[in-house]
Amino acid sequence: MNILYVLIPLALLILGGAVWAFFWAVGSGQFDDLDTPAVRIIMDDDDKPPEKSES
Amino acid sequence: MSAGTCFHCALPVQRANEFQVEIDGELKSVCCPGCKAVAELIRDTGMSSYYELREAPQPGAGKPADDAADWQIYDRDDMLAAFAETSGATAEATIYVGGMYCAACSWLIETTLAKTTGVSSAEVNPVTHRLRARWLIDKIGLGGILATLSRLGYDPQPLAPESAARPEIAEQRAALKRLLVASLGMMQVMMFAVGLYAGDFQGMEAGMQRFLRIVSFVVTTPVVFYAARPFFAGAWRGIVARMPGMDLPVAIAITAAYVGSIYAMLSGGPAVWFDSVVMFVFFLTLGRFLEMRARHRSIDRSTALSTLLPNTVTKLATDGETIIPASQMLRGDLLVVRPGESIPADGVLTLGATTVDEALLSGEAEPLQKVPGDDLIAGSINLDGLIQMRVDKTGSDTTLGTISRMSERARYARPAFVQVADRIASYIVVAILLIAVIVATSWYFIVPERAFVITLSVLVVTCPCALALATPAAFATAGTRLSDLHLLITNGNAIEALSRANRILFDKTGTLTRGAPAIFSTVVFDDAYDEQQCLQIAAALETVSTHPIASAFSVTANDMLATDQRVVIGKGVSGTVAGRSWTLGRRSFATAGEDASEARATSVYLASKHGLVARFDLDDEIRASARPTLAQLRKLGLSLTLVSGDNAGPVRRVAEALDITESHSNCSPADKLAIIRSAQSSADTVIMVGDGINDAPVLAGADTSIAPVHGALLAQTSADVIMLGESLQPLVDGVLLARKTMAIVRQNLAWAVVYNAVALPLAAMGYVPPWAAAIGMSVSSLVVVLNALRLNRFGAA
Repeated sequence: MNILYVLIPLALLILGGAVWAFFWAVGSGQFDDLDTPAVRIIMDDDDKPPEKSES
Repeated sequence: MSAGTCFHCALPVQRANEFQVEIDGELKSVCCPGCKAVAELIRDTGMSSYYELREAPQPGAGKPADDAADWQIYDRDDMLAAFAETSGATAEATIYVGGMYCAACSWLIETTLAKTTGVSSAEVNPVTHRLRARWLIDKIGLGGILATLSRLGYDPQPLAPESAARPEIAEQRAALKRLLVASLGMMQVMMFAVGLYAGDFQGMEAGMQRFLRIVSFVVTTPVVFYAARPFFAGAWRGIVARMPGMDLPVAIAITAAYVGSIYAMLSGGPAVWFDSVVMFVFFLTLGRFLEMRARHRSIDRSTALSTLLPNTVTKLATDGETIIPASQMLRGDLLVVRPGESIPADGVLTLGATTVDEALLSGEAEPLQKVPGDDLIAGSINLDGLIQMRVDKTGSDTTLGTISRMSERARYARPAFVQVADRIASYIVVAILLIAVIVATSWYFIVPERAFVITLSVLVVTCPCALALATPAAFATAGTRLSDLHLLITNGNAIEALSRANRILFDKTGTLTRGAPAIFSTVVFDDAYDEQQCLQIAAALETVSTHPIASAFSVTANDMLATDQRVVIGKGVSGTVAGRSWTLGRRSFATAGEDASEARATSVYLASKHGLVARFDLDDEIRASARPTLAQLRKLGLSLTLVSGDNAGPVRRVAEALDITESHSNCSPADKLAIIRSAQSSADTVIMVGDGINDAPVLAGADTSIAPVHGALLAQTSADVIMLGESLQPLVDGVLLARKTMAIVRQNLAWAVVYNAVALPLAAMGYVPPWAAAIGMSVSSLVVVLNALRLNRFGAA
């Protein structure tokens, strides 16, 4: 059980890293839009334009 | 009706197969060359999936403006300075994109701009309709970006940096960070708590127990000092103002549990309550976060107000007309306003005559005549005359600015249900701590060695989660579901009032009716023409007019073409159709006719030079959805009343058409309010459905109020519920869902009370081991949340 004395502080360090990363992500505006990402995944960006016949 | 609806903008197609676009190998009909161009642009840039992914469009959405505005003007340096922030070779601006209605639009805009040379980034927020674009100054101008948006069929409005600043973004970022700290902290501490409970159950080394407590303390500290800071700040404000709010008991509970736990940790006491602290903070923060999101959702309707004003104005100086940014306009400036433009500032008309549409401010669809000396209000639309005006007030000093500020204030009001939930939860925490102390003391005298295990069980089993969640979970789910059903809740009390309501008052214009004139009968005086021909001639003549009446004719399928059209302001229009000259308009303008039109409906007369040919009776058309919706509402046990400021004739016609037995005409706002008060005094709960400034006090007087989104904006700001779209059907869904929501809230509260009433005595008597208590508490919270989530399935079956 003594390994916990090492692992739990280690887990807390990783937790701190995760919180820092999230704060950075929020600060850089990645979470400003909470509505679009849910639908964005279903939109294809790679439609090929049809062959240009005229114009 | 004639040839289906436009593939792009969903307006009726006048002539089948006149304009067509080939999309994915199929020919689609569109209504006009503008829509054809937009659809082709979307296809040629490889973005046809826009049409598959978008929601059903409201008719007219995405239809490009007929007159391509002069976007070049925005490439000028003073425009760039007014609307963009430049740094080096790049500039950045926020642009309000009018005409967006779903997420597919934001995708279309972003992808198109990303392919435009010179644009380095483009992000659209579909909820706030804002585009944040960054571009290289030497590759493309602001004008080029606006022109691109305009070509896609949207109505772009660059926002000055000060109006683009979004305090709610900062608020949301802070709230997200707090929520994350609270939720991660809660997860960690709960994990350690499970270890501690297991230790209580099967024994644990004293050193390890102490270690887990210290670790819990370390994780709880940022939760208390960072995530819970708004509660302490609120409590302190309450104390300073000598008006303690519900944040105070919350703060006391958090402090008591936190300090008590630290003491227990240092002195090796029987239990620590760090897990209760973090859980309490987490659920409260989550509730506040959901509430904040609901509040922000309603904001943009008010910021949209400022986008009703033009960005550039034509100033009349001694050396002729110059176009300047609206922000540089000063009091006393003389401006030129062309037909179809909106009035940029409050002021006085100095030259010319026109009619203006003040529907935005007054909710009245009828345009007003303006002559020199009359006041003009910023945001109203100059319909048909070229005028000069002198500026009196600009920006936030205008009537429009005042309305914006009012709605600003309204959005900081907190829904009452959150307040109630907070208050109940905080009292319960204090009660739990008291009970825990009593239980601990009692057992200390009975069986000292069992005292701390039992106290622990009591603390865990009675965690207020279920009670605290019972109401907010149901209301939050209902709010989300209602917005899917096209009802936006701006006031938390609305759901409760909707569920109790037994009487609905309807305004007529713009609510039960469409708020735009339509032809309801045609009388032909000259046998040489039939009804259809008369309508077609009139429609051809009206193509040049911007007057609202002209729109009544534009739905007529038409093969006629008019030439030499001339608009006479406030009277009518004349022109040549099929080789004959015609006049259309007021009877005095057409020719003298024989019958006097009574106070029934607006009539428009068509005349050739041989005399009167036809009379078109116009009236506000009743919405197609009104009849079925009202029938359903009646079936739900609601009594319906029609109140209108309109004359008895039209009111009676609408009431009869919709089987409304009780109707009041010629009502002033005070009369309407009196009707509501008398209904309320006989213990009725009243819903008011209406728009328009005249209804604002009436909306506020009713138990809850609903405003259709196309109505005057002021009405929306005082309405508790905003109804989107053309249909009235959301009313029925809203009442049904509200009733269901309150039923679920009652079930949840009953469950939480019964659970605690059973679990607490058992735990206090020592029959519940800590691990069972932990499971019981989690299950009871889960039951409440899952029960609330059932609302999401409402109406989906």
